[in-house]
Amino acid sequence: MSVKYISVQWNSNKWKYNAIMLASVFTYLWIFIFVTPDIMSNEGRINGQVHNARAFGSCAFLMLSVILCIGPLARLDKRFLPLLYNRRHFGVMTMFVGITHAGYILNWYFAFSPSNKYEALLFSNTSYGQLSGFPFEVFGILALFCLTILAATSHDFWLKFLTPRIWKRIHYLIYAAYISVVAHVSLGILQDQQNHAFTVLFIVSALVVAVLHLLAAIHERKHGDPFPNNSDNWVEVCDVSELREGFAKITQLTQKERVAVFMHEGKLSAISNACAHQNGPLGEGKIIRCLVTCPWHGFQYDVTNGSSPAPFTEKVPTYNLKLEGSSVLVDRNANAPGTFVEPLVLQTTGAAT
Amino acid sequence: MSEKKAPFFVGYMGVPKALKSFLLKVSLLLFAGFTAGAVLAGASQDDPGQAGFRFDYGRQTLTGVLEANPYPLLYVTQGNDRVKAGHTMMLSGQGKTPIMANLAALEGNEVEISGVILKRGELDMLQVAGGKKGIKDLSKEGTIPASEPLGKWKLQGEICDGKCLAGAMNPGRGLAHKACANLCLLADIPPVFVSSQPVEGKEFLLVADPDGGPFPREMYNYVGQFLELETEIERRGDLLVLRIDPDKIKAIE
Repeated sequence: MSVKYISVQWNSNKWKYNAIMLASVFTYLWIFIFVTPDIMSNEGRINGQVHNARAFGSCAFLMLSVILCIGPLARLDKRFLPLLYNRRHFGVMTMFVGITHAGYILNWYFAFSPSNKYEALLFSNTSYGQLSGFPFEVFGILALFCLTILAATSHDFWLKFLTPRIWKRIHYLIYAAYISVVAHVSLGILQDQQNHAFTVLFIVSALVVAVLHLLAAIHERKHGDPFPNNSDNWVEVCDVSELREGFAKITQLTQKERVAVFMHEGKLSAISNACAHQNGPLGEGKIIRCLVTCPWHGFQYDVTNGSSPAPFTEKVPTYNLKLEGSSVLVDRNANAPGTFVEPLVLQTTGAAT
Repeated sequence: MSEKKAPFFVGYMGVPKALKSFLLKVSLLLFAGFTAGAVLAGASQDDPGQAGFRFDYGRQTLTGVLEANPYPLLYVTQGNDRVKAGHTMMLSGQGKTPIMANLAALEGNEVEISGVILKRGELDMLQVAGGKKGIKDLSKEGTIPASEPLGKWKLQGEICDGKCLAGAMNPGRGLAHKACANLCLLADIPPVFVSSQPVEGKEFLLVADPDGGPFPREMYNYVGQFLELETEIERRGDLLVLRIDPDKIKAIE
């Protein structure tokens, strides 16, 4: 539930998550490496190293595609949120699969030479001025570089150390990695393919990622949180009748700031919508055992003061609320994280006490 | 499913009943997707053709006259069951190790060379064994066959490194293999043009520069691409040599 520079907590759901992902990856590699050579009716045999490199490379691409689908799927349908829960482990797995691909390539194509293989990787093809024959390896290097940064900073220690905002920005490198991989494959193996089955798989995977992101953006635009159209300190959130016990209404206060107004035991409280862990949307969570629970990783906060229960130390800002008729208004000036605010009690008539 | 009605998952708690069957279906779909992807991607790889090191031939020892320009060639004078006299054998060092420095001084001499053969159809190459076992100078001047001009030709095809093409790597051609091919060419491995149409019955031609020297560095950009070129061709022994002219070459997209 919290982080205090301790190792990532494990629970049975994480084990199951990793088991399913690992089983999928191992099955992919096992079939590609050991089964498909006997299925192919080729006259000649592809070198084992090249075959293995292709197995690991295509697997890494597929894994990356799956990882990038999880975010928009969870935006479009909340039932996919559990896939978001342990996505970082899948990302680290992807890096290792990608490194194995690079290892096979380096120790095959760039080996057996008096030159250093890492230097040879950089100097053997310098046709940067042309598309056909472009040194596509650089895109692979860039993708691996991004994936390594993401994996190295995936632990909650770095989240805490860098702050969620910076951590999140760094982790947008996943898009740079994916675009690099697409360029790497498009300018590399796809240029030589006579059988286009992998080309179809590649294009379909990349299209699914792109279309899901587009759909999620459209969904966000349609169903996104309302933006206040006045500059007053007090911003209207909703009508009291729209609130439901244990859940929240979210309102955007500024371009970067959102507030979540919860109803708990008939009273209203407002806290920042951004979880202190990974900026998860607290307002899309619910109150469990009197605590607001983040839908991403289950971090919890007392709705009245924005503090995690002891011994945890996470805190989010709180906000003051008032009622005008049946309208709920929030003060756009946040209180310091952890500040207690007396919940707004609703009377049966809808007036505040 | 509406947001309020959607079952709420918290990782460290149990999975809500309403989510269990959904997550099971997603897991099975993911597993099936990876399985199908492996079959599709793995079984659809292009056939690299039959080529490779012929270790089954054993070490081959050939006697002949050595020529080092543009690339190491042996005009075989005493062959064996596998390689007949009169054949022009292209030579390479171990892996991607240059051998030109060892051979240049022996230009025009009769030598005994041993190593392993690589073969793809009519294309072959001898990977010369390392150390003194590989090259033995017979201290006798030989006669390099006179080259026979075959005139100008317009061809389409691809420039590869002869060793990977002959089976050192499978696949050993194409744009995905370009960096490896360039690294081979830097190691004095003879470049070979794979013609889409046979020339005098041959599909593979050694590539030289317009003056008959080594493949020019500025032409490395063209390696692995499908090209159209106009060129002078000559015959050396039973090997065809193409003199590539940078001004009469274009890449075909």
